Amino acid sequence: MSVKIEDQLKEKILNVAKKNPKGISHKDITAAIPEVSSAELVPVINELLQQEYFDLFNQNGVLVYKLKAQTSKQAVKGADNEEKVVYNLIEEAGNKGIWIRDIRVRSNLANTQLTKVLKNLESKKVIKAVKCVNASKKKVYMLYNLEPDRSISGGAWYQDQDFESEFVDILNVQCHRFLSQRADKIKNNPRGPIVGRTQSYATANEVQKYITDLGISKVELDVEDVITILNTLVYDGKAESSVYPDGSKVYRAIDPLIPAPGLVQVPCGVCPLIHSCDSTGLVTPQTCVYMKEWLE
Amino acid sequence: MSHQMGRVVSAILERHFGEIVQKVGDDLFSYGSRPISMIVRNTGLPRNQVIDSLRTLLKFDLATFEPYNDVIVDYKLLPDNVLLLIRYPRYLLQMKSKYGSEAELLVEELLQQATCTATTLLFNIATKFKDDKEKSITILGLKDMFISLVTAGYIQQAPVAELKEGSEIPTLVPVATIVPDLDSRALVQAMNNGHINDIKDNIYWRVNYDRFHLDFRDEIMIKAITRRIDENAGELMRFLLEKMYLTSAPWAPESSPLCAVELRERCRSAATDKPLLHQFVDQYLKVLEENGGGFVRRVGDAGSGQFTVRSRHAALQLVLCALEHCVTERLGSKAARIFRLIYTKKYIEEDDIQKNAMLVNKECKQLTYKLMEEHFISVQPMRKPASAGGMAKAIYLYHVKLHSVAYTGLEMCYRSLHNVLRRAAHERSAHARLVDKQRRVRTIVHGMRLRGETQRNIDDVEETLTPPELAVLQGVEKRLKQLSTAELELDRNLFIFKWYFMYPYVE
Ligand code: SF4
Repeated sequence: MSVKIEDQLKEKILNVAKKNPKGISHKDITAAIPEVSSAELVPVINELLQQEYFDLFNQNGVLVYKLKAQTSKQAVKGADNEEKVVYNLIEEAGNKGIWIRDIRVRSNLANTQLTKVLKNLESKKVIKAVKCVNASKKKVYMLYNLEPDRSISGGAWYQDQDFESEFVDILNVQCHRFLSQRADKIKNNPRGPIVGRTQSYATANEVQKYITDLGISKVELDVEDVITILNTLVYDGKAESSVYPDGSKVYRAIDPLIPAPGLVQVPCGVCPLIHSCDSTGLVTPQTCVYMKEWLE
Repeated sequence: MSHQMGRVVSAILERHFGEIVQKVGDDLFSYGSRPISMIVRNTGLPRNQVIDSLRTLLKFDLATFEPYNDVIVDYKLLPDNVLLLIRYPRYLLQMKSKYGSEAELLVEELLQQATCTATTLLFNIATKFKDDKEKSITILGLKDMFISLVTAGYIQQAPVAELKEGSEIPTLVPVATIVPDLDSRALVQAMNNGHINDIKDNIYWRVNYDRFHLDFRDEIMIKAITRRIDENAGELMRFLLEKMYLTSAPWAPESSPLCAVELRERCRSAATDKPLLHQFVDQYLKVLEENGGGFVRRVGDAGSGQFTVRSRHAALQLVLCALEHCVTERLGSKAARIFRLIYTKKYIEEDDIQKNAMLVNKECKQLTYKLMEEHFISVQPMRKPASAGGMAKAIYLYHVKLHSVAYTGLEMCYRSLHNVLRRAAHERSAHARLVDKQRRVRTIVHGMRLRGETQRNIDDVEETLTPPELAVLQGVEKRLKQLSTAELELDRNLFIFKWYFMYPYVE
C-alpha cells in the first residue's frame, strides 16, 4: 500500500469519526468505508492510535474509537521546544486568548525569538491573532480553530471589532415595535387587568423568535443578546421589565408618565445658549432668533 | 431663592403692577427683609410711592411684614406667591370645569379683590350681571355656590390683623374658616335697594391656593396612572386619593394605610360607570401597585390589604420624567438612555455604561461628557488600592444626584419663564402704538353702534386701520397668545418641581 493511499484512508476514517463524536466501532468504519478490507484497515487504525488521534474505549464489550478533543501532537509535530512551550501556553488560554506580553513573561523567551515562533505557528495555521474589542491595540493569541470569547470579540454586535450601532438601533426599533403591538392589551381588558398585563408582556424568548423570523440579523442572536437589546429599551424609557415566577424576564412597552413638559415646549428649554442668555448683552430674549423662528 | 427666580418675579411684578412696584419688589427680593426707609434710600423712589407699592404687595399677599422693634417694621417679599400670579388662569379654568361659570366668576372677582367680604363679593357680581339675561345669574345662586366653595375649601377666611398690647404694629392671625350663614332675604333686599349699607358683614375672605394645588397634584397623578395602565386604574387612583384626604395630611409624603375593603365599597358605587373596575378591584390594586410608577404601595394585609399613597415618590418619578424629557430634547435620545441607565444603576463605571447602553464607544463618551457639562450627571473618583502590578488606577463612578439635577431643571424653568415674559413684554411695547390705536378704534365703533349710526360711518372709522396694520396686529396677537400658552405650560412644569422640593431632601 502506498503512503498516499494510506493517507487517504486515514482521512476517511477521521471523517467518519468526526461525524460521530460519540465514538465509532470497527463495524461503523467498515460500514462507512466498505471498499476497504478490514485487514487493510488495521494498520491504519493502529497508526492513528499511535499518533494519538483516538482514544480507545471498551463499550459493552465492543471496542470504540473516539476522536480526541484537540490533538496537540499533530500541530506541533516536528516543532522545536520553544514552539511547544508557546503552543501550550496558548492552548491553556482557551478561547479568551493570551496577550503576547504574558507569553513572554511566562515562557521566558526573548522578544525576537518569541515573535519568530508566533509567526511560525501563525503561518502554519495553528494559532491566530485576534484583536480585542475593548482595547483596540491589544492582540491576543489563541488556537486557530477556536471561536473567540464574547469578551474578546464582543459577540454579535461586533464586526471585525467595530461596534455595529446601526444594527443595534434597528433591533431596538424592531423590539419596540413588537412590544408596542401588544401593549394596549392591558387597557380595559374584559378579562381583567392581570390577564391584560400578561397579554401585554412579552418574554425574551418570544422577542428572540420574532427577531429571528424577521431575518434581519445575519448572525445568530441568542436570548441573552435579545435581552441586551430589550434592556436598552428599558433605559430608553420605552419599556419596563418584570420577572415571571419561573425566573424568565418579561417586557412591556410603556409611555412616559407625563407628556413633554413645558420646559421642552419653549425654545429656551432646548437652547444651547440658555446659560449665557441674559436681559442685556449679546444674547437676549428680546432679540433671540430661536424665539423669533418659534413664534413665526 | 435664586437669582433666576428673582428675575422671573421681577418680570411678573412689572406685568401686573407696573414699574414702581417692580422696583420695590426687586429691592425686597435682593435684600430680604427691610424697613421702608431703606427701600426709599435704595430705590430712590418717593416715599409715598414706596408705601403705595407695599400696600399693593401686602394686599395681594405678595409680601408680609414683621416688627423689627416697637416702631419699625420690616417688609419681606413672598416670591413664591408672586409666581402664583401667572397661575390665575388655571385656577379659573379649574373652577369652570369643576363647578361651572358661577364659581369661576366668584373666584375671578375674589382674586381681583384679594380680600373681600362675602356680601360685597356677591353683590358686586350680581350687579354686574343684573341685565345679562342669557347667563341668568342671581345673587341667591351665587350665594349657594359661595357656600359650596367655602365648604370645599377653595375659599377661606382671610387672616385678621390684631394689635398686641403695647405695640402699634398689628400682627396677622390666621383664623379657622367657618362656613358662613348668609341671610338670603337681606341679600335680595340689598339687590332691590341697589346698595349693601344695611348688611353688617365684617368677615373677609380670600382664595385658598393650596386647595387648588391639591387638585392639580391629584390630576397629575391620576393622568399619569391612566397613561401607564388605563382609565380604570386612574379612577382607582382617584378613589385612593379621596380616601387619603380623610385620614392623612393632604401633602403627607406617604399617607396612612388605606383599607382595600373601603375601596371595594367605593368601586361598587361606581360600578355602572366603571364595571370593569368594580369587577376586578383587587387585580387593579395589584397592577396599580406593581406597574403604577410606585405611586401606591401595599403596606399590610389586614382587612384584605392596606395601601398607602406615596406623594413624595410620585413627585420624584414625575420630576425624573420631566428631566428625561429635557435631556432627550437637549442632547438626544441616546443621551437620555445614558442618563436613565446611570440613574437606575446608581453608580456605574464608564466601561459599563458603554456595554449596557449599546453605543459606540466614542459616541458614548461624548454624550457622557455632555451630560456632565450640563450638570445632569456627576462623577465621583474612587481610588483603588495599588494593585499587584503596581498600576494604581482611579476609577470614575458616574451617578445622578437627582436633587441637584432637579435644581438645575428648576433654574432652567425660571430662565425660560423669564425669557418668555420678557419677550411678551417686548412684543407689547414694540407695537404699543398700534395696539393702542386698535383699542381706540374699537371703543369708538362700539359707541357708534350703541348710538345706532350707519354702517357707512362705522366702516369709515374702521378703515383708519390699514390692511398692513391689521396684518401686523394679527401677528402680534398670535405671538402673544403663543407666549401666554407657553407661560402656562412652564408654570405646570414649575409646579412639578415645586412639589418635589416641598419634601425635605433625603439621600
Ligand atoms: S431666549 Fe433665545 S437665546 Fe435665550 S435661552 Fe431662550 S432660546 Fe436661548
